[in-house]
Amino acid sequence: MEDRRIEVTRRDLLKAAGVAAIAAPLVVGEPLAAAAAAAAEAPKFFTRGQWALVDELAEIIIPADDHSGGARAAKVVNAIDGWLAEAFEPDPKNRWVEGLARVDALAREKKGDAFMQLTPEDREAVVTIMASEEAKPASVEGKFFNELKRRTSHFYYTSKIGIHDELEYKGNVLQEEYAGIDVSKEGTN
Amino acid sequence: MAAWELTSRGLNVLLVEAGKKVNTTEVLHSMEWPYDHPRRGQMSPKFHALSRNEYNIRNPPYAQDSQYEKVFSYVQGWGGSDYSKTLVVDEKDHPYSGTKYAWVRARALGGKTNIWGRLALRLSDYDFKGKSHDGYGEDWPISYADVAPYYDRVDLLLGISGVKENLPQLPDGKFQRPYKLTPSEVQFRHALQKMGRTATPYRAGVTTDGVTNKYRSKCFGRGACSRHVGGCDIHAAFDSPTGLIYPAQDTGRLSIRTNATVHEVTVDPATGKARGVGFIDTVTGKSYEARAKAVVLAASTLESARLLLLSKSRQHPNGIGNSSGRPGGFYVPRFRNLTEKQPDFIRGYGFEGEGGFGIGPGEGADAPGFGKAWKKHVRDYAGAYISMGGFGEVLPRYENSVSIDPLIKDRWGIPVLKFDYQFGDNERKMAADMAQQAQEMFEAAGIEVVSVGKNLLTEGWSIHELGTARMGDDPRTSVLNQFQQSHDVNNLLVVDGSSHVNASCQNPTWTIMALAMRSCEHLADQMKKGDL
Repeated sequence: MEDRRIEVTRRDLLKAAGVAAIAAPLVVGEPLAAAAAAAAEAPKFFTRGQWALVDELAEIIIPADDHSGGARAAKVVNAIDGWLAEAFEPDPKNRWVEGLARVDALAREKKGDAFMQLTPEDREAVVTIMASEEAKPASVEGKFFNELKRRTSHFYYTSKIGIHDELEYKGNVLQEEYAGIDVSKEGTN
Repeated sequence: MAAWELTSRGLNVLLVEAGKKVNTTEVLHSMEWPYDHPRRGQMSPKFHALSRNEYNIRNPPYAQDSQYEKVFSYVQGWGGSDYSKTLVVDEKDHPYSGTKYAWVRARALGGKTNIWGRLALRLSDYDFKGKSHDGYGEDWPISYADVAPYYDRVDLLLGISGVKENLPQLPDGKFQRPYKLTPSEVQFRHALQKMGRTATPYRAGVTTDGVTNKYRSKCFGRGACSRHVGGCDIHAAFDSPTGLIYPAQDTGRLSIRTNATVHEVTVDPATGKARGVGFIDTVTGKSYEARAKAVVLAASTLESARLLLLSKSRQHPNGIGNSSGRPGGFYVPRFRNLTEKQPDFIRGYGFEGEGGFGIGPGEGADAPGFGKAWKKHVRDYAGAYISMGGFGEVLPRYENSVSIDPLIKDRWGIPVLKFDYQFGDNERKMAADMAQQAQEMFEAAGIEVVSVGKNLLTEGWSIHELGTARMGDDPRTSVLNQFQQSHDVNNLLVVDGSSHVNASCQNPTWTIMALAMRSCEHLADQMKKGDL
């Protein structure tokens, strides 16, 4: 019974991921999302709540659109979790735990509930507040936004979806004719 | 190169290598996609790469008291560090002291040629005869005409790609088919042409049409050079193992002893000549001596200097070869101080740069914002970025030197090198001009300048250490003669960058190869005639 429920939820989630950016009122409760995530991948560092939160924040930063999948489809949260789990120093782990707690606190301050309980519009509004100091971050949430964006971007653009679907990179394969413009026939100065 | 040239002339050679033999084909995995590696190509977090800041805030030894299992130089902070970690040295085992210096070392058969940047440039008489041109320093005892035939032979033997530009300051070579430019690079090239300057496709020590060598493939044009700290596992880029050492081994006249750290050039007490080398087996710690009729050092400029200084004997109390007392210290070709004269500095600089698509979005991902609009912006601008970095000549100065630190020893008990080396006023003024000219050139090409870095990198950063045992005709002011032979001990040669009289702004690898070939040809002739 339990298993089937999770299966269904996962399928819904996957379907939702493909259209999340355009479907307006998609609210996935934290327990369900967490359970689904846990069934898919066991977190190595994050709690299930943190996992769901990072997954959602990453998807807000790099959402799926009609061109390609987003951070969720690219499993950015798995990569961040794996990276933190084996971090040698306590610093990045502490920074992430503190940063995620601050995201929830900020959500409560500004919108009256934990981040994952908010509507997509309110979630985006909270991230917009976090991002407002991007050029010169001073607050905990401002600094955490830059960290979040940097890691999300790194793991997204080194993923299969990021490289092949999103940027449509054509290199790293044999090119009989080298790509580009031949200037050897131009003559010299 | 020494092993190849000498064995091809019928001599028997023992190659003593401090590191191990690394099968780079198995190690580099340069075709692996980032997502197929558990850490996207990064090495374990138990290992640490020194950051620019660490070099700036303290002096070496940089890895002292580090909590990390291994500590590497800054190059391991680049992408793909997990693939190159077996080639470069652990700073904990290999400390050095003195002034700030970013010293990158590889200990493996072939050394840094396994991971070099591939820019293969010739020097010109602006470099060989720098003193005649501007009065500073010393002229080399040789001119471009002496080296040109050897540059040609190196080009044909190892393969080089490029476009002929007919520039007096950057002589053309025997080029194979060139790399092509991206649209932004072509736009830049055309703008520079109007200024009387050049942006030429990267002159790479890479074979694009193939060479007669069963260990090497021609370049696939994958655009993957910038990955993995530069290693090339199809060996289209030159590396000494596949380019020279394995072919030398195939003559049957080359023996290789790896894991053997040489700590001195031994001397025949009767004649004062070099007798061989003393080395320590890095695995067992046992000491050995290998004897030979001639000793050729090519341990990299600074390691060779260390070795010469460590080789003290009754005949050579200051270290071997050291009686002069002075061992010590798209390409945009140089356009400064050729026909005009800069008021603030002498010599010149060139730029290495690139524009266009890489495997990631590059600087595009630094755009502010998030969400769908940001994602589209990154996608739209992914191939639009172009950047370049300046490489200037650091003047040779007697006050810049290296010596042996008697107090600090490496893992095998060998005293380490101590730096006393700093950039001077000429470098700082030249760097300011570099930044200004880079900005002006980009703007002239209609390129929006996003950022300009004006700070000099830490000394050593370019990995072009040169001139600790300079060549010259006068034994009182130089260590080696024009055939890189010690003035004091004629059966001792140093064929890495040690002999360079001044650095030039052109990358040194191809000149090191050409001079080593020339010197070893001369050595083989002398040995055949019994002149040694």
